Parts: sequence; structure tokens; C-alpha cells
Amino acid sequence: MYLTQEEERIYNGEKGEAQAIAIRLLVSIGEINGAEQLIPIKSAHISGVSYKNIGDGGLKFLKKIADKVKVPTTLNPLGFDLERNGPVEVDRDFREKQLEIIRTFISMGIKESFTCTPYYFYQQPKYGDHVAWAESSALIYANAILGARTNREGGPSALAAAIIGKTPNFGLHLDNNRIADYEVAVDGRLDYSGAAALGLYLGANYPGKIPRLVGVDYLRDFELKAFGAAIAASSSTSMFHVENRTPDDILNRGRKFEKVVVDYNELKNLMEEKSSHEKPELIAIGCPHLSKDEIDYIASLVRGKKKDKEVEVFLFASRETIKNSSESIKIIEDFGAKVFADTCMVVAPLSKKYHKTAINSGKASFYLPMKEYGGQEIIFRNFNDLLRWAVIDN
Amino acid sequence: MIINGRGISPGTAKGKIALCDDYISPLGEMGKDGKIKSGKCENLEFKGKIFAFKGGRGSTVGSYVLLELKENLTSPIAIINEKAELVILTGAIISEIPMIDGIPLNILRNDDEAKIDGKSGILELLGVVQKEVSTVYLFHGDKLLVLLRSNHVSSFQNQYSAISGHIEEGETPEEAGRREVLEETGISDVEIEKMGKPFPVRWENIVFVVHPMLARTKSDKITLNWENREYRWINVDELSRLNTVPRLKEALEELLKS
Repeated sequence: MYLTQEEERIYNGEKGEAQAIAIRLLVSIGEINGAEQLIPIKSAHISGVSYKNIGDGGLKFLKKIADKVKVPTTLNPLGFDLERNGPVEVDRDFREKQLEIIRTFISMGIKESFTCTPYYFYQQPKYGDHVAWAESSALIYANAILGARTNREGGPSALAAAIIGKTPNFGLHLDNNRIADYEVAVDGRLDYSGAAALGLYLGANYPGKIPRLVGVDYLRDFELKAFGAAIAASSSTSMFHVENRTPDDILNRGRKFEKVVVDYNELKNLMEEKSSHEKPELIAIGCPHLSKDEIDYIASLVRGKKKDKEVEVFLFASRETIKNSSESIKIIEDFGAKVFADTCMVVAPLSKKYHKTAINSGKASFYLPMKEYGGQEIIFRNFNDLLRWAVIDN
Repeated sequence: MIINGRGISPGTAKGKIALCDDYISPLGEMGKDGKIKSGKCENLEFKGKIFAFKGGRGSTVGSYVLLELKENLTSPIAIINEKAELVILTGAIISEIPMIDGIPLNILRNDDEAKIDGKSGILELLGVVQKEVSTVYLFHGDKLLVLLRSNHVSSFQNQYSAISGHIEEGETPEEAGRREVLEETGISDVEIEKMGKPFPVRWENIVFVVHPMLARTKSDKITLNWENREYRWINVDELSRLNTVPRLKEALEELLKS
């Protein structure tokens, strides 16, 4: 790989140990992937924030590499809401370690966003921007819907990119690697959970391939968010296109693709197969974190209604999204649901208290039943169906 | 001998090699006491050694395990992989453990003394010498000539081989191949059809760099010299049933494919 004189000096440790380690990581990742150089990035998004995930070794790593970031940088969610202390209790030692991790990030100049949707209110990359984002649901959103360019970064590589302000130029930073691999039509009309189920289906059957969805340009951004989160959770796919809808679809112009038609009933079956038929203890919404539009929509559905006491309803969104949706949040809280920031249903240890969780998220349906996440029984349905469990008829 | 790998994590180290012909997940498999905890290489001690293994696998948290081992003074002093991937690469760099990749593990032995430079990618095997040899796959029609090596040769005794011998100074691999065919079989009408990619084979403290080539002859009369005690003209698919020198079949398959 070609390094500038300045980069060479950083590599050799002239700017300190943290920067040296950061650039070495970027250069070696570039080398094994055939990159020729480092390119400047506009922003970074960091995963590996939860103490549960990174442990003491991860904390040591952060302290070792703690240097000021060179670009706007945001953070993924962690295991509990820092202000509201929910949704599940964590012990004091865990909390202390978590706070130490956060202090280390803040000392580097990183924003306390604690969200998997940094593109709402924190930082929205523009078309063509090179960025280094971790968190698979966020980076596929940045690639597909915003038209930014990022590889599937891990926590350490995204942090290294933030410290250097650059990333190795390979993979999805290059137009040629962003072109669709196949085309998908759906026999039926998709909603939020249907889009998520399609993501799971394609991730399992065409792992790592870039799909181009045709005939679904009616899908709204938050529905595409659900699709992207699901396909990126169930496979290494980090990019997709929607005909007449997403900005990089121009790269597909004039090309012919293998065509796949997915039967809507197959997606319904997929959701049913994952679902238990018992009444849930908890309805969890917001994986990925909710947008302001989604919160407003939920508020419109529960306005003036009362929640059944036997079922908890938790919503997850970022601090800024919650702050900017205060009226709707009040309506939702009056209904009896709880709203949490900083955390989400995948990283919070929900299974300590809840064993039957209803969700509308394909990504959550992929993780929550896993042993490491407590082996939850799930009900995977559309939000309107889930709400029937929670609203008292009057 | 010197082997050129690829630099992954800078720094130098000198020590003994701990070899594991498998993939390793640092999380769960690399114990705090500096030994492998499970799998094919259970109980292998990597602490204070140059740890050579195929590559990484498992949770990305594994990168942090290497950092904890380093602080615990139970980490390897350097890492050699056949092909680097993110888990080990990240772990080596953040722990400042020198690392290279692109080294075929079959040329290494446990307890080899070695020096490694993680920036240039150079591996030096101390006390190991390199010798260049030519290996000729000689065909008569569709029959391949195999020779049973005698007790008097210095390596791979009593194993089946193609026609094989050292490349002398000033000789090209092709010239050496023709000379060896004449010496070992008495055949002089040889047409070299194709040269293959050289590959290394380890024998005691020698690494033979083998230059394979495909050749044809119209003659099937063989006069053996002292180096071999038997010859056979065989069909290629019979190779797998013979006790042969390392990589004889694989290298032929590659030659026929290319």
C-alpha cells in the first residue's frame, strides 16, 4: 500500500502510540484487501460500546488507543439507559465499568449518541461521502439509502479510522463493488415487518450478495431501514438498491441481472415459523432505533388508549430523537408504554426479566432467540398486530 | 533460510516456533496460562514463542484476548499466519505483537529457531538451509514415470517420486530437469512442455524449493542409476495409492490444470 510521508511518520510512531496503532490497523486491513491507499473520511460510527460485549480487554484497548478523533464520530447503544436506568437492572460493577468505557470515548471527542441510527439528528452523510461506520444496520442504511460509501467496519477499525480521519480504499468505497448482483421482485405488498422478513430471507439465501429490489419504490425510509437491518444481520450484505428509489441505482443502469421472485406467503411463513403463539410479556419496538416519524405514528395509534397491565411495551430511540418528539412521547407514556434511550432490545439484558418478547423487527428476530441473548421466545409480527396484545378494548 | 511473507504488524522477534496446523479462535482457545485449551493443538504452549497457525476464527472480541495475554506476559512473542484475517490482525496490532502472513506452514517445525520482521514480512529460519530442486513429471503417452527412491539418497528414502534432483550453480531449473532425466533414466529425448510454480517442501533441516515441470518422451526404456531402485509407468490416478514424497500428486494436478 502507498503511504504519504505524513502517514509513514504516523506509522513509525512519531505522533504517539495511539495514532501508530490506529494507522497500522488501517494499513494492514488495506493490505489484506488489496487497497492502494488511505482516503479521507467525513465521519465515523463506533460499535463495541457495551461492557458486556467488549469486556476488560476491550476497555484496555480503548485506553491504549484513546486519542482525539479527527472527524465527527458517534457511538452505538449500550446495555442500559444512562438516565432512566432501565429497561433491566444492571449490577454496580457492570455499571462502573460501562461508565469508564463511556468516559474514555468522551475524552476522545466522540458524541454521546448511543444509537444505531446516528443518521437521525446526529450526522447524516451526503451522497458520495466516504465514511467508516460500524454497526451493520447503520452502515447498510448509509450505503443504500444515503448513498454514502462505507465498508462493513468492526469496532476497532471504525475507531482507528476516526483517529486517523482516513480509511483504506477498497470494497464498497469503489463504485464497481457497489453494483447489484441480482434483482428481486415480491409477489405482494410489503409493510415494515414484511420488508424485514424479506431481508432475513435474502440474507439466508443470497448471503453477501447485493440485491436490487424492483417494484417496491413505495417503501418508506423506515421500512427500508428494517429491510437493511435484517439482511445485514443475517448475512454480510452491506449494500442494496431499490429501483427508482435509492441514489446509487444509477450504477445498475443498462445492466441485466438474475431475477428472483419472492412469494409474499413465503415471508409470512418465515415470520410464523419464528413465532410462539402465547401472549407476550413484553412488546419491544425500535430495532433499529425509531425515527421521529415512527414515534409520531405510534402516538397516533395509542392516543387516549390504555395499556393492558399484563404486557409491558418498550420503545427504543436515541436521546435526540426522543427530545425532538416530546409531544408524541408524552402520549405514548400516558398510554403506559416506556421509552428508553441509549440502549436497545439486543444489547440490554432483557432476558433477565422477560422470556416472551413480541417484536416487529427482523434483526431482533435473528438475535433474541440465540442462546447468547437469553434464548427468548419471540412473536414476530407487524406492529398493528402486536398492539392488539397491549391495548385494552373499550 | 529467508522466506518472504507479508508484513502485518511491525516489530521484530527471535525465538522458537510453536506450530498449530489449524485455525484458532483467541476467545476460548488461547488460555491465560499461554497454552491452547481445545481442538487439534490442545496443550500447545504459545507463551514466549513465535506462534504459527493457519489463521483466526471466532468472535471479534478475540482481538482483545491477545491484548490481555500480552499484559499478562503470556502472549506469543510473534505470530505467523498462512492468511491473515481481521480477528488476529487486529489483536496483533493493538497488542504490538509482530505478525506476518503468507508463510506455508508445511515448511515449519515445532521448536525451529526463527527471526521475524513484522514490517518487511521477512521470516528467517535459523539452522535451516534452502535447496533448489527440479522435479520432472515425465509422460510416455498417458503413462507417468514414477521412481522408488533408494536407501542411498539423502532424503525421502523409499518413497515414490518423479525424477528429481538439485539444481547446480549456473543451471536453470529446465536444464537441471533434462540432466536429471538423463542421469536417472538414461532418456535423452525429452520435451519440456510446461513449467509450474515453485513450492517448498521440508525435510529435516532442509527446505527444498521444488520447480515442477511437465515433460514428454517417445522412449519408454529406463536405465536406473543408484538413486532409485524401481520404476513404474502408471496412470495418473494411481498416484494416490502410492507412498510418495510430499505434494507429488497436488503439484502434478496444478501443473495439468494451469
